[in-house]
Amino acid sequence: MSFKYPVVMPKMSMTMETGELINFHVAVGDQVKSGDVLFEVMTDKIDMEVEAPADGVIESLVANPGDVVEIGKPVLIMLTETEVMAFDFGATEDEESTIVAAVEVAAPAPVVEAPVIAPVVAAPAIVNETVKAVPKARVEAANRGIDLRTVRATGPDRTITMEDVNGAQLDPAIIKRQEANKALIAKGIEMTRAIAQASFTRSVNANFDHAQFIAAWAKVLRNRPDLAAHEHIGVALIIESKYGSALPVFRDPDRSNHADLVALVASTTDAAKNGKVPVAMLSGATTTVFDLTTYSMSSATPLLFPNQVTSVTIGYESATTKIVSLTIDLNFCDFYDGALLLDALVASL
Amino acid sequence: MLTMAEAVREAMSIAFEERPEVFLLGEDVGIYGGAFGVSGDMYHKYGADRVLDTPIAELGIVGAAVGAALSGMRPIVEIQFSDFTAQAMDQIANQAAKIHFMLGGALHVPMVLRTPQGSGTGAAAQHSQNLEPWFASVPGLKVVVPSNPADAKGLLLSAIDDPNPVIFLEHKLLYKIPGRDPVPEGATRIPLGVSKVVREGKDLTIVATGIMVNKSYEVAEKLAAEGITITLIDPRTISPLDMNPVFESVEKTGRLMVVQEGPAQAGFINEVIAQLAGSSSFGSLIAPIKRLAGMNIPIPYAPQLEKAAVPQIEDIEIAAREIVKNWR
Repeated sequence: MSFKYPVVMPKMSMTMETGELINFHVAVGDQVKSGDVLFEVMTDKIDMEVEAPADGVIESLVANPGDVVEIGKPVLIMLTETEVMAFDFGATEDEESTIVAAVEVAAPAPVVEAPVIAPVVAAPAIVNETVKAVPKARVEAANRGIDLRTVRATGPDRTITMEDVNGAQLDPAIIKRQEANKALIAKGIEMTRAIAQASFTRSVNANFDHAQFIAAWAKVLRNRPDLAAHEHIGVALIIESKYGSALPVFRDPDRSNHADLVALVASTTDAAKNGKVPVAMLSGATTTVFDLTTYSMSSATPLLFPNQVTSVTIGYESATTKIVSLTIDLNFCDFYDGALLLDALVASL
Repeated sequence: MLTMAEAVREAMSIAFEERPEVFLLGEDVGIYGGAFGVSGDMYHKYGADRVLDTPIAELGIVGAAVGAALSGMRPIVEIQFSDFTAQAMDQIANQAAKIHFMLGGALHVPMVLRTPQGSGTGAAAQHSQNLEPWFASVPGLKVVVPSNPADAKGLLLSAIDDPNPVIFLEHKLLYKIPGRDPVPEGATRIPLGVSKVVREGKDLTIVATGIMVNKSYEVAEKLAAEGITITLIDPRTISPLDMNPVFESVEKTGRLMVVQEGPAQAGFINEVIAQLAGSSSFGSLIAPIKRLAGMNIPIPYAPQLEKAAVPQIEDIEIAAREIVKNWR
């Protein structure tokens, strides 16, 4: 069985709205391998080659060289045997789809914008190209991972109401991520996953303890519900002991009373060093913090844990300054987002 | 139960008793008892030294009051119709409102300017305007719009206490009406700059000023019987404006309707919408904001047209029902 998959104009920067198609590297009927260059596009900032997300055959060319194409609109259609995961960021079991996701990101994430969805994904159809929605519907949709374009508007003047959103289907990608997160608890921690990521580093002239740091970081993430599959924010703090690494998770630390949080971090750290972290604290991580200063290391590239989109290390620079490094999953945010996140974190310290 | 005219008179009388420096001046406020009978018998009670009949010269009246205020008196000015404040606007906007600031805070202008406003009396375009935004857009003026006798009394006492100018806009149609709540006896003040939640509901927030509070209240009572419950907020002081109850209420109801008598264009109530649109409570809205206001026309003389030019109870009722029904 083969699937039609539209390869779309990718969004390559926060401000990009359209891109110009320069030329095709393929013709109708060509066999392509995953990673082959399909076409070249030019924007105000960057020229780049867009690669095949999977093996397949070119079914049709939709745009013409010289056309200015809106982001998310198809440039060509491929037929592929692979289940190209238009929404499947969260797959951790399927080796092939994991790679597909990574390859797609090398041509930065056209996936979210795809206006036509490969049938196998069974994503809700787009019924609403120009979205009008009441403000709370937008907030709710963002929190719950609903693509408002897929919600049928029944309000006056074809506006999406709260009733419409409440009756809407969740984005399958979010459901999948939530399921994957559930599975993670049983599976334990694995550090290997082929995902496109970027790291940022900043020097910080501030003194903070772990409690202050994780509260500040949770507060920054609180403003980015799009980066979370859960309603809570769980900050895992890596604590090394002779028994190995423990990762107790502090839930919503930005909402705790500071003194309580300080006490909880202290008691949990002590417990972890004795190999005794409460079981309830071992699940629900949505981000991870690793303090390297105990090793006098300045920075490392923090690794992303499966199903987490961010990870942070604290490194030693001098008696008064520290180095904060952030790694982000480029499936969910772009470089600009990463820089903003780190900037916000540093500012809040 | 006191009417609003009686409550205003009572507040002035209390202030007369409390402070010898308080006095009243204006056209026909003395022997005649005021164009709308607000000062009543005060002339006979307190004498011509404290209740001054003036010539028909608004600029002169307010100028004299500003001068008196600067020299330690606490004048209460009555301008017969708020439309006539246009004559006195230099003294109001450029002198009274600014002197404290132009002189580095060295002097105060503790003056209250009371004036009747609004349509519904068949007095046509030059005697029927609602000029709330004129005053609310002048920094240095505080602006009070009471909707009932009890508030009028407590707010006027605070206005007289205030060290700088307060514009006190009384609706003509409210003068003869007793309020829902009795007017407290004695000299109880109501602070300026505190909005009042008149009643609470869960389906819709209405913010209204002056007489529109009363009209909205009737609608809220009626719709409650149908299961639509309304939170009604009366800012009472439109400058400074206390928005907190509005934010809190919209976060609960998700729907906002604003009602004012004055013309929609550049009206005061638009400020409520703007502040909500710029606040974090914006994200709580489940419906577009509904604005009911006067038409952008001079108030007509013909009674039917005069009525049609400003929101009436039926208009408020229809709009309230629609917003709740259409946006769920």
